[in-house]
Amino acid sequence: MNDFLNQVRLVWDWLTSSQQWHGDDGIPHRLIEHLTYSGISLFFAALIGLAFGLLVGHTGRGAFAVATVANLARAIPTFGLVVLVVTLAGLSTTPVLIALVALAVPPILINTYEGVRGVDPDTRDAARGVGMTEWEVLLRVEVPMALPLILLGLRIAAIQVVATATVAAYPGLGGLGRFIVDGLSRNDYELVIGGSTVVVALALVVQVAFTALRRVIVSPGLQVAASKS
Amino acid sequence: MDELSLELAEGGLTVLVGPSGCGKTTTLRMVNRMVEPTSGTVSLRGQDIREVNAPELRRGIGYVIQHAGLFPHRTILDNIATVPLLLGWSRKKARARAAELLELVGLPSSMAKRYPNQLSGGQQQRVGVARALGADPPVLLMDEPFSAVDPIVRAELQAEFIRLQKELHKTIVFVTHDIDEAIKLGDKIAVFRTGGKLAQFDTPERLLADPADDFVADFVGHDRGIRRLSFVDGADVPLREGPVLPATSSVASARTAGEPWVLVVDGDRRPLGWAAVADLPDSGTLADATLAPLGHTFSLAGDSARAALDSALLSPARLAVGVDADGAVVGVADAHELSGGSADAGTGGADGAKR
Amino acid sequence: MSDDEPLIRWQWIGDHAAELADYTGIHLRLGLLPVLFGLIISIPLGILCHRWRWLYPPVLTVANILYSIPSLALFMIFVRYTGLTERTVMIPLTLYTLSVLVPNVVDGLASVPEPVRLAATAMGFGAIRRVVQVELPIAVPVVIAGVRVAAVSSISLVAVGQLIGQGGLGYYITRGLQLDFPTPIITAIVLIMLLALATDALLVLAQRLLTPWSRNKVRAS
Repeated sequence: MNDFLNQVRLVWDWLTSSQQWHGDDGIPHRLIEHLTYSGISLFFAALIGLAFGLLVGHTGRGAFAVATVANLARAIPTFGLVVLVVTLAGLSTTPVLIALVALAVPPILINTYEGVRGVDPDTRDAARGVGMTEWEVLLRVEVPMALPLILLGLRIAAIQVVATATVAAYPGLGGLGRFIVDGLSRNDYELVIGGSTVVVALALVVQVAFTALRRVIVSPGLQVAASKS
Repeated sequence: MDELSLELAEGGLTVLVGPSGCGKTTTLRMVNRMVEPTSGTVSLRGQDIREVNAPELRRGIGYVIQHAGLFPHRTILDNIATVPLLLGWSRKKARARAAELLELVGLPSSMAKRYPNQLSGGQQQRVGVARALGADPPVLLMDEPFSAVDPIVRAELQAEFIRLQKELHKTIVFVTHDIDEAIKLGDKIAVFRTGGKLAQFDTPERLLADPADDFVADFVGHDRGIRRLSFVDGADVPLREGPVLPATSSVASARTAGEPWVLVVDGDRRPLGWAAVADLPDSGTLADATLAPLGHTFSLAGDSARAALDSALLSPARLAVGVDADGAVVGVADAHELSGGSADAGTGGADGAKR
Repeated sequence: MSDDEPLIRWQWIGDHAAELADYTGIHLRLGLLPVLFGLIISIPLGILCHRWRWLYPPVLTVANILYSIPSLALFMIFVRYTGLTERTVMIPLTLYTLSVLVPNVVDGLASVPEPVRLAATAMGFGAIRRVVQVELPIAVPVVIAGVRVAAVSSISLVAVGQLIGQGGLGYYITRGLQLDFPTPIITAIVLIMLLALATDALLVLAQRLLTPWSRNKVRAS
């Protein structure tokens, strides 16, 4: 217990010392770096994952390929992939970002696909029967009904990207992982645990943001269904 | 399926009925191009439907399916407003129309803001019908709309639906596997056999009276004789005078009637009950006699011959009591007379009289 | 990396076969023991959440929050208590499995048809016997679907542990970076993926053997 309080004090001292809030090694700069890497990767991953997930879900063609990609992707050690990319392409941001996108696409893809596929066939039949065009069926019925799963896919991808961006500090990238990696190499535990705390805080913010987003954009008609089952 | 030619009357309700796998649903879905026929044409009001863009065509045809297929993410009101919104109506106008329809199908306006999974199956099905009526289409396609609800709710929905159709006069194609439902609702019935062949296309009366072959006879059921009576008006039932006596008559007069039971009526000829002649007291009037209950009477003004037969079977005297609109006794008939009379109707005699 | 360096030097793999085998063993231990521990925690926890539904949302929220914390940060938080040991890697990996395993145990129990539950009760099963002998076996396919996801993720995450010196095959990833030599990195990635996929295949097989009645019915999500 005492030890835990010591750890809290350590973190507090680190967070409140003014040098953490200025310059290239400061928390704001590292946080912005981290958010930039994560945001850009998630954006492109969402574009790709949503487009293919909706296409395959709506047409039903390519389902096997989607399942295979998703299974294989889960098995890839993200740390290994990031290190390999730096080893092969040198230390620049773009190749690492491409790797991050590649890792974030599968969860978005598979969940979007499952969400659209899971729409009750009667509902889809009714949508066509009342005279919706294929685009209307997709955008007005399938997407809103798939939203809970689409958001789940985006959340898993976001968690994945934030975590992998942390690890990417090891082969030399910026972001919040820098504190941890630098602290380890300098045997500066204060730096390690301080950096970890900021990473944890960011993860919590992401988690809360997705929960809030879900509350706002998923139809109450579907939320009742979710709580019933 | 092949070689199907059906002409459906405008403003009429045509039922497609048959065992599963007979192609009735496929036929229905050809009308709004949910299924494209490999050959042949479907025309709607003289126009080949292939000339109309499919979604546009469907917006002008109401569509109701078995589990209603409501959109779970939309409120009841927005579900009903779907087609008007697709047609580009303003949100306000579409919602006003939806509110009207909600009332038309007998749902309280408090349900407007709810979501489908907060409604019972029967209520969802009513919303399904309301949604189909959204843009007031002249044609409705209904694919087993009442099959997924329990029998009591189903009977309720059918009755409401009959009332609605009397008001709206839509041209309706209705698919069911339930021959009773078909006979209850249909103006004309197309019976399909497995493999998509049309076995018979006729009015319910003709279907029961004169099935085209063994398949149809079997499908409409062994009790089709009784069911047919539903289509004979109570007014057409052959009635005879019978042993009807006012309560003021003497016991002696009842004995002279020569029947085992006499029907005792009041001053306005309203039936009071049956008196067994053998159990009558030695003297006095029929007012002193113990009366057996009537069972129920049938009205010449509204009931069918089937109600008359039922009345005969339930009465202690085995006689059906026919009453007029005021409840006064017109006459009686026994079960034999009732069924004999309707057998004639089947072969043509009384059939002509009915029209 | 110098330009004349080939992507893979097969020679290196041959030279290090024995060492690779050792690290593969360590990697499996680090990746799979957390799944086992996770299962030991999730089954009773899932049963409790199934029995008392109000318990489920808070448990799920905590499990999801733990899952959202990046592994590197979580390892570092535990270093202070458990040092640079295997436990420091295995405890966070165990915590991660909960976000998959607990919901799958709950869903698995919920998949037991109500008539089966009622019949078991009517035949005189007590509450605990009913759960152990009737409901859990029926839940097995759904639980194993969760175990598959947890095992594959866990095996691929172990590598990060190398940053505190306990990463199984992750050793070759940091080694390759230090030497600017891709062969060990690629070898490690391929071996880790093979381990994950082989584990997955074995779990599918285990499920078929354990639940002969449910073949072809459940598919991993």
